[in-house]
Amino acid sequence: MWQLECHKMIYPSKLIHASKPFVPPVHSIPLTRTNVTEEISIEGCNLSFSVATKQGKTIPILKDCSLRIPSGQFWMLLGPNGCGKSTLLKILAGLLNPTNGTVYVKRPRSFVFQNPDHQVVMPTVEADVAFGLGKFNLTRDEVKSRVSKAANAVSMSKYLQRSVQTLSGGQKQRVAIAGALAEACKVLLLDELTTFLDESDQVGVIKAVRNSLDSSGEVTALWVTHRLEELEYADGAVYMENGRVVMHGDAASIMDFIKTRQSAYIKEINS
Amino acid sequence: MSFTHRSIATVTFPYFPLNPPTPKTPNFTPLRSFNNNNNKTLISVNPKSSFRIRASAASDNSQPPWWANLLPAQALGSDKVLRLISGATASPIGQYVSEPVTFLHSLDPRVKLVWLLALVVLPARSHIILRFGLVVYLAILSIWVLPRHAWMDQLGRVSLISGLLFIMLGLGADGAPALVQLRTPPPAITGLSNLPASLAGYSYLIFKLGPIQFTRKGLSVASTAACLTFTVFQSASLCLTTTTPEELAFALRWFMLPLTNLGVPVAEVILTLMLSLRFISLVFDEVRNVALGIVSRRIDWQQLTMVETIDVFFAYFRRIFKNIFSHAEQISQAMIARGFRGDCNTHKMYLLSDPSIGIADVVSLLCLAGIIGAAVWSDFLI
Repeated sequence: MWQLECHKMIYPSKLIHASKPFVPPVHSIPLTRTNVTEEISIEGCNLSFSVATKQGKTIPILKDCSLRIPSGQFWMLLGPNGCGKSTLLKILAGLLNPTNGTVYVKRPRSFVFQNPDHQVVMPTVEADVAFGLGKFNLTRDEVKSRVSKAANAVSMSKYLQRSVQTLSGGQKQRVAIAGALAEACKVLLLDELTTFLDESDQVGVIKAVRNSLDSSGEVTALWVTHRLEELEYADGAVYMENGRVVMHGDAASIMDFIKTRQSAYIKEINS
Repeated sequence: MSFTHRSIATVTFPYFPLNPPTPKTPNFTPLRSFNNNNNKTLISVNPKSSFRIRASAASDNSQPPWWANLLPAQALGSDKVLRLISGATASPIGQYVSEPVTFLHSLDPRVKLVWLLALVVLPARSHIILRFGLVVYLAILSIWVLPRHAWMDQLGRVSLISGLLFIMLGLGADGAPALVQLRTPPPAITGLSNLPASLAGYSYLIFKLGPIQFTRKGLSVASTAACLTFTVFQSASLCLTTTTPEELAFALRWFMLPLTNLGVPVAEVILTLMLSLRFISLVFDEVRNVALGIVSRRIDWQQLTMVETIDVFFAYFRRIFKNIFSHAEQISQAMIARGFRGDCNTHKMYLLSDPSIGIADVVSLLCLAGIIGAAVWSDFLI
């Protein structure tokens, strides 16, 4: 049984202090494609997150979540609506601070939002893909080359001069991904990118991410979704329910686990 | 003399307290009550009972008079307004049109900015013939360069605004009675003979229609304002339609770069320009989508009173602003997630467009010089 060992192979200076002891998740499945000595790109230990209401009540969103994702792999974060997937992803991206627990994510990292209209900040495709590169000290030719490569990776090289407004939802989503890829980040955090897309765009976007991972070799991606059919593209998955990580492991095992649950639920309804 | 009172079936009033009619209001007859459960809307409205008012009980059952049909069935034509907004074109004002590629697309954006500046100044400082000449020139250029739907949309909008301005200023500039304005004492007081009429046929008053008079002063003010409005809006639209935001930002930065020595925050200005150009489309989307949301709920506007209709529109505007602020917050979060830390000098803006001055640009600049020369000499020659 593959056990999560927090604080192993991570840098203590980059950790947020954990106030609770680590509790292993409910289920864990042996990873077939990785081993314990592999480098870890994303690690969260005993993460909790809660919000306070106007009435002063504290509502827990995440309860003691732990996950560990090896480098160079494509993992999915699955679960029903409202289970805390996006919140966990935002914590990993550094957009939210956990109430408790420790986080380690390799840098540079990129976060792609669920709604592409929230992610794309510039009026044209080329300007938007290049926007994230502003933090680096690059020459003009380097920027052009990176933008071109990233646009190619998501099949958007023909649209570089196009206004973002004239693109479809799937194309905007690809632009958002290209922006993340252009930064040559080590970790991609992707929040339900296929929510607004039709089937062909959905497959196109997920394949674009998969291809970019395969070509780079060292990029790790964590993809939040609630669509089971997307699991076939993943190396591993984490399944959440009610703010807890219920299970993590390879994609096939998670698929079996969810299907068993579904059939049990259907049986229960029919009986 | 006898009067015949006829019923008017279209005037509705806001809710009055549900008390039984008192003897003081004998003519108010509650015809129907508003059922809240059957009229659910996207935006919460507090439906109230409405009353239909009749002028007086008529003894005959004849049709209402012709003028009763002219009264609006709904005060604002709310449904039509919202349908118009929701069905509006997806391309907002001044959006870049990439195809067909014309010579204006290939012009250097810096040259276009110089033209823009000239077209803002020239109508205010040149002869009336040149002003109208510029308007005609811009209209012809727009029709020639832009696709049909784009120029019809642009010219229609700008012509309407300019036309209204022309009429209002033309008739209003000298609208005050001459007695109030006259500074020279009338001949009756001075005892001198009246000023002779111009032998060349000059007349200050161009035409007079009852109290409305159109004078040379009115013509001058109206033509300046209307032509200036037309050239400013249309030249800006034409420039935005044929230039990518990146090229515009590049040109503006090129002109503003020397100002950095004076402490002008050029980087911030350029980033703000780019964000604004992105945000314009988001605002248009929001306005259209929220209107579409209301239309799709199939509100029975006939059932709403005036106050309720206004309430829906207030809720509409509130929702637009809320959504726009939410967008702004999300975009700022995205900028942070993409590495922007609020300092435009450390976060570079890479504008990858690389325009260069060509023959078309030189010809264009020569034309501009010719027009400026004509404007300068027009006052002497004409």
